[in-house]
Amino acid sequence: MAELMPELMPELNLNFTVQHDDFSLSIDEKISLTGITGIFGHSGSGKSTLLKVIAGLEKQANGKLSLNNDELLNSEAKLFVAAQDRNIGLVFQNSRLFPHLSVEENLRYGQKRNKNSVLKFSEIVELTQLDKLLDKAVTQLSGGEQQRVALARAILAEPRLLLLDEPLSALDDKNKIVLLALLTKVKQTLNLPMLYVSHSLNEIQQLADKLLVLSAGKVSHHGDIHHVIHQLTTNHDILHQTSLSLTVKEHLPEYGLTSLALGEQQIFIACDHEPNTEKQVRCIIAAGDISITLHEPIESSIVNHLHGVITVLGKIGSTDGRNAQMLITVNCSGQNFFVTITTWSTKRLSLTVGQRIFIQFKANAVRSLR
Amino acid sequence: MSLLLTRALASFIFFGLLLFSSTDVRAKNTLSLDDNNVNEKPLRIAVASNFAPTLKKLLARYNAKQIKFPSPLIIPASSGTLFLQIKHGAAFDLFLSADRERPELLTEAHLVLIGSQQTYAYGQLALWSAKHEIAADPFTALKNNKQRLAIANPRIAPYGKAAKQVLENLQLWDSYKTRFIQGINIGQTFQQTRSQAVNLGIVSNSQLILNNLKGVIIPARLYQPIEQQLLILKRSQNIPQAQRFVTFLMSETSQQFIIDSGYMKLSQEKNKDKSKENTIE
Amino acid sequence: MNNTHPDILALITTLKMAGLTTIILMLIGTPLAWYLAKMQSRAKVFIEALVALPLVLPPTVLGFYLLLVFSPQYLPGQLWQQATGQQLAFSFSAIVIGSVLYSLPFVVQPLQKAFEQLGDDLLEAAAMLGASAFDRFFTIVLPITKASFITAASLGFAHTVGEFGVVLMIGGNIPGETRVLSIALFDHVEAFDYAQAHIISISLVISSLVLLSLIYLLNRPAQNNQTKSKRVN
Repeated sequence: MAELMPELMPELNLNFTVQHDDFSLSIDEKISLTGITGIFGHSGSGKSTLLKVIAGLEKQANGKLSLNNDELLNSEAKLFVAAQDRNIGLVFQNSRLFPHLSVEENLRYGQKRNKNSVLKFSEIVELTQLDKLLDKAVTQLSGGEQQRVALARAILAEPRLLLLDEPLSALDDKNKIVLLALLTKVKQTLNLPMLYVSHSLNEIQQLADKLLVLSAGKVSHHGDIHHVIHQLTTNHDILHQTSLSLTVKEHLPEYGLTSLALGEQQIFIACDHEPNTEKQVRCIIAAGDISITLHEPIESSIVNHLHGVITVLGKIGSTDGRNAQMLITVNCSGQNFFVTITTWSTKRLSLTVGQRIFIQFKANAVRSLR
Repeated sequence: MSLLLTRALASFIFFGLLLFSSTDVRAKNTLSLDDNNVNEKPLRIAVASNFAPTLKKLLARYNAKQIKFPSPLIIPASSGTLFLQIKHGAAFDLFLSADRERPELLTEAHLVLIGSQQTYAYGQLALWSAKHEIAADPFTALKNNKQRLAIANPRIAPYGKAAKQVLENLQLWDSYKTRFIQGINIGQTFQQTRSQAVNLGIVSNSQLILNNLKGVIIPARLYQPIEQQLLILKRSQNIPQAQRFVTFLMSETSQQFIIDSGYMKLSQEKNKDKSKENTIE
Repeated sequence: MNNTHPDILALITTLKMAGLTTIILMLIGTPLAWYLAKMQSRAKVFIEALVALPLVLPPTVLGFYLLLVFSPQYLPGQLWQQATGQQLAFSFSAIVIGSVLYSLPFVVQPLQKAFEQLGDDLLEAAAMLGASAFDRFFTIVLPITKASFITAASLGFAHTVGEFGVVLMIGGNIPGETRVLSIALFDHVEAFDYAQAHIISISLVISSLVLLSLIYLLNRPAQNNQTKSKRVN
């Protein structure tokens, strides 16, 4: 599979503001473009506007923007590179397929306008499983099929950066899964940097390596995905959870389990399909699914127990000033785990920072993401 | 059920009021007169547009002289339009045409009160330019003009027909054939000449006088008289009034006023050879 | 010109006038309609009203002002005379200009509606795939709004053919130049030549019906490209 031209240290350099009547966006950020960067935020946080500025569809941005040292926007110098000249792709929430062209003509639209075309049409069609749909009219496709075509069309234009603006939001759950799998495949096969905007953290967790969080028009978090998830957890901004990427240690198909290495310890996760060749597994564990014991629970049906040290005892505030829950950070073999238990239990077990304890959670509690 | 009743009552009252208000209030106020058969509705006079301004002035005099009848109503339009309307039943009492043809056609159609068809004015042609002074002799002026000339359409307008006769008599028709700006009636011709988009135009003298303009009167011998005839419609409900008005119009004073307004003297035409009649093309 | 039946000459003059007017209107109406469709500012309402003016003004009003403006008394008439050496009033050019103004809304409004209905979505997608503005117009806008272009051109043409009031005021009834069918028809009626009047009238009625039927046929809701039906103004 031909790879897209790799850039050395591909980077997006953003330093601008956008001012609308009721909303403003202010960004001063460098985004490294290896792999997929997820952009997460609630409605009104400015994530779509951010993409539009990068794409060149938002004319009212004031400041600077450059992609791989190629200046696309410089308000002072009155420079504004038109969207069609930026060689950036965009997959919208609605597929926006051209109704007067067939599926194949849609796919070829971008490719025809790229002077340095390298990708093979048939390969992308195969990758996105669109071979049976080529002759069809756009109106005959289902929602999921349309988005697949939109994705393939954007890829075939061979952009140096692909933006995705909530591409799954309009799809039903079944199609979401299909598209997510496809995006993962695309990520693995093509060396195409992507920015993936979504209000669904779950989608981002499955795809992105880095995460940028937007809140009220400003960047609040930006970094490695696990790191940001943990920051968000600690700040009580999201469902408390532990996010990790671990290497596979061994497969135990007869028990439907796979063990992942964590330093000298291991974590078992449920594995109900044929073990595949993945070496790295990304997974999350909800903080409410982990419990703490003082002694190693040898005679327990719970498969996972790890020893670790308590590093933080955090209070989870409630509106009436009382706190019934505590957020406890436990370091096991260098990996932070987040545990929520009742304040009462914390007191009962006399938990203190620095204390050595065991955490336990079922294999089923470990949700693996592709 | 009561709603229906209320609605019926309301409708009744509404239409009653409508009916009441539509009756002619004026008719009630007019004193009843000696002649019980007199219709007290105002006289409806259809008049060719070019004569309308003069008619309005005459009307003012007419009204000043009598209080017996309500003031007549004037309906100005092109002779052709009025002709068609009358033919199709328009409720006029009197028709003042700009020509002779249409009154004749109406007579043939038995729509005219026998004996009422008569000439009330003779149109007078004048040469005029809104741009510059023209030679006192119309022949010279017309000969020297190398550009376009505005005339009324000879096929459909009596003044245009006369203009054509003038040019033919001056042996200038051929040289002007491709240089005409034709108006649908003498009113438009005047307007076109006035816009200065044409150098020269053959217009009606009455238009010049009305607007305080000075042109060159074209000698009557160069064209057949433009007989403007009137008639009373047979189906008029207002014949006595109409006859009264016609009498007024044909009186010496009125006729003099008409001539002063830019029309030709009747007496001049009594001496002319009327053997050449206008024929309908 | 000498041998042609005057009404055939009038027909040819009418077709020339309507044809040229339609071409000019498509050329200036398309960008105008586009501009109006995409424009957001307050001025939009005012410009839309201006464009729609010929719909409500009596044609004679337009003709009256044009006569003034084209005459050598005023600047436009003078400029034209200087530029071309010909007088603008009572010329073929005059009735073409008059027709362009008179039929403007019939061309601009269907196009504007079509462009508005098209929206920005597809155009943004095309831009992201590398298509320039012209490219987008010819590969996306035009094919999708094709029916509206045909409607606009047909309406503009038909409306111009039927024009009377404006041509009456500024034409001067010059055979081969400004004597168009509607004027010829009027002439025949005034001259009591009803036979000829009928011929012209019936021909105009039939051809107009045929043209309008085609337009409505084209704009039926079940079109392959459009999900909504376009109402013809």
